[in-house]
Amino acid sequence: MINPMDLSEKIILVTGASSGIGRVTAIQLSKLGGRVVLVARNKVKLNETVDMMEGRGHTVYSFDLIQIEKIEELIRQIILENGALNGLVHCAGIAPMRPLGLTKADFLHNVMLINFYSFVELVRCVSKKKNYQIGASFIGISSTSSRIGDKSKVAYCASKAALDSAVRCMAKELAEKGIRVNTVMPGFVKTGMYTDYMREYSNASDAKKILARQYIGITEPEEIANAVAYLLSDSAKTITGSSFLVDGGSLS
Amino acid sequence: MTNREKLALLENMLELEEGELNEEIKLSELENWNSMAKLSLIVLMDDEFGKKLSGEQIRRFETIKDILNFME
Repeated sequence: MINPMDLSEKIILVTGASSGIGRVTAIQLSKLGGRVVLVARNKVKLNETVDMMEGRGHTVYSFDLIQIEKIEELIRQIILENGALNGLVHCAGIAPMRPLGLTKADFLHNVMLINFYSFVELVRCVSKKKNYQIGASFIGISSTSSRIGDKSKVAYCASKAALDSAVRCMAKELAEKGIRVNTVMPGFVKTGMYTDYMREYSNASDAKKILARQYIGITEPEEIANAVAYLLSDSAKTITGSSFLVDGGSLS
Repeated sequence: MTNREKLALLENMLELEEGELNEEIKLSELENWNSMAKLSLIVLMDDEFGKKLSGEQIRRFETIKDILNFME
């Protein structure tokens, strides 16, 4: 038997690992043999994630990515304690809805900080000599929102489009170091964010239209985790600068 | 914050002229009391008053006065 998504011996940093896609990704990567470095704000929830994981040697760092100027120091500590990284998965993200009339620079900046700037800073730090291993793979979790606009989502949609655009540049710049950079682009996924949205907006006609668009069904978070695992694995060694759609058909 | 100041916040949010709103006005009579206005109100409550407003709570609002009362 072969396992094309084998991640044995790989050390992978996952942000947003305390809930949603980040948590499920950390769990799935551990089941594929990966050693995971978990980052998120809430230490209790991070430890809950570790309890659900397989294998040994996973480490937890409680950190708020909004402290962007401290990411460099965080990465230095992580590399010192865990060794050079094979992978980075940026799952941390926020999706606040706000009509354009109230979308001012400070709000935009806050969304961009968590969803986008912190990813660029993480990639900048991890792609420095001795911090990564040859064949490393970096992944940002984007969204079909980067391609489909919606009312009250200027900040979120733009932050996800920024990720997709950035990985195309990073892929070219980091190719000579043997690093690949991609995004995974989910549609609606069954996470807490989805449940919150449905509780508030399931009766709104806009929500019904969006759900109808995803005609083959709502994606389970494990499917996103598997897409991430594939892009991390050596099976995907010529895939770079791309956005991997896992969208239930919504963009077709 | 005085009631007049609170009304001014709502007038600004709903793009109405100054003095157009009063406490007795029913939300159902306001032409632009739509889903975007409701979302704007959630944001306004958070930004200006540090209060979390749920969809359920909004559905219970009948008049402008109900909103002003929630702002306190």
